[in-house]
Amino acid sequence: MQVLLLNGSSKDDAFSQQLCDIFVNELEKHDNKVEVIELCDTRIESCLGCFGCWVKTPGICVINDAGRDLAKSVVQSDLVISVSLVTFGGYSYEVKKALDRLIPIISPFFKKINGEVHHKPRYKRYPKVISIGTLTENKQELIDTFQYLVKRNAINMHSPVYLSRVFLNNEAAQGLGQEVFEVLKEAGAVK
Amino acid sequence: MNKRALLLIGSPKPASSTSEAVGDYLLDKLRQYDIEGEKIKLIQILKQEDGINELISAINNCDILILSSPLYLDSAPAIVTKAMELISNDRIAREHIKRPIMLAICNSGFPEAHQNHTALSIYRHFANASSFEWAGGLALGGGGSIDSRPINSLGGMVRNVVKSLDLTASAIADGKHIPEEAIKLMAKPFVPHWLYFIFGQFGWRIQAKKYGAQKNLNDRPYEVN
Repeated sequence: MQVLLLNGSSKDDAFSQQLCDIFVNELEKHDNKVEVIELCDTRIESCLGCFGCWVKTPGICVINDAGRDLAKSVVQSDLVISVSLVTFGGYSYEVKKALDRLIPIISPFFKKINGEVHHKPRYKRYPKVISIGTLTENKQELIDTFQYLVKRNAINMHSPVYLSRVFLNNEAAQGLGQEVFEVLKEAGAVK
Repeated sequence: MNKRALLLIGSPKPASSTSEAVGDYLLDKLRQYDIEGEKIKLIQILKQEDGINELISAINNCDILILSSPLYLDSAPAIVTKAMELISNDRIAREHIKRPIMLAICNSGFPEAHQNHTALSIYRHFANASSFEWAGGLALGGGGSIDSRPINSLGGMVRNVVKSLDLTASAIADGKHIPEEAIKLMAKPFVPHWLYFIFGQFGWRIQAKKYGAQKNLNDRPYEVN
């Protein structure tokens, strides 16, 4: 399986970094090909909201930076994993900046899904998604919002499978390994 | 002393935006209640050398914080997330701060207003974490119909938006939260969904034609054969 991991951990967030390392080790142990994008070290400009990627250069962002490579990698992956600090129930700035740049991979045209209007898919296939959140305190309201957000994103981005987990950053490393294995198994990346 | 309202525009568009059009109308209404109004575009201020300090200072001097933003992937655009992180970190580090009220308006290109609800939950969590008194959120669907134009220039099409913002301004000026009636009015669609659907399909083709890209709208540049 081709796997893309978006590491949204900041320099002082050792826990998220540890989680990413566990994901990579587990995936590689099971013969997956893993590409990691360290978002803190990657220059990705914020989406301009110009819709140029739909009407000017369809399918390609008008900003020529690593955001284009990111969109290409997402389309060409079987599984995309993101690791983000849960920020007010959403993604952190670094992760959101990257996700906002994925608009080119969907179509401007509309279709109805479950009675709601959404954008049509541009491609025939999209990757499965695992969205990992990390929190310093167990706040159920934030976890609920994060998990609902991941569900909504999966509708808009046409993900065939989506999974979300929130880890508290006081969890023991041993337990983390098992949880990571379980979520990867559910996504079909390990056996 | 008059109360001060601060309007934060969360659209990354440097020129006009639907977020700004809606926010401007509300700010003008609040001025009619002798509330002083200031507007900051996050995309501009966060690029300035001392912009973060200027933003923090404006926040700490306001009594009413209004955030008007578009919906990007079911949540706040990245630029708004960045601003919320900066503001929250600053307020948590300070010992003595005012507790202004905060309200948010979120607009989406989808006709269903409820698609903004996740973003509004995020704004509510931000308010709670950052010592603002959450006064509620307004969800606007079909933002493309406003298309960055001033609300006063749009006539009957935006009558429910106008009524909603008028009710909101009156309540906020009175120290109250956004009334339920204002939330319901803002959520009413401008046109039937099927009509919005058709307008949308044509609109993208017309825009693409300007760039000679109308035949490429369904291109798949990253597809692997």
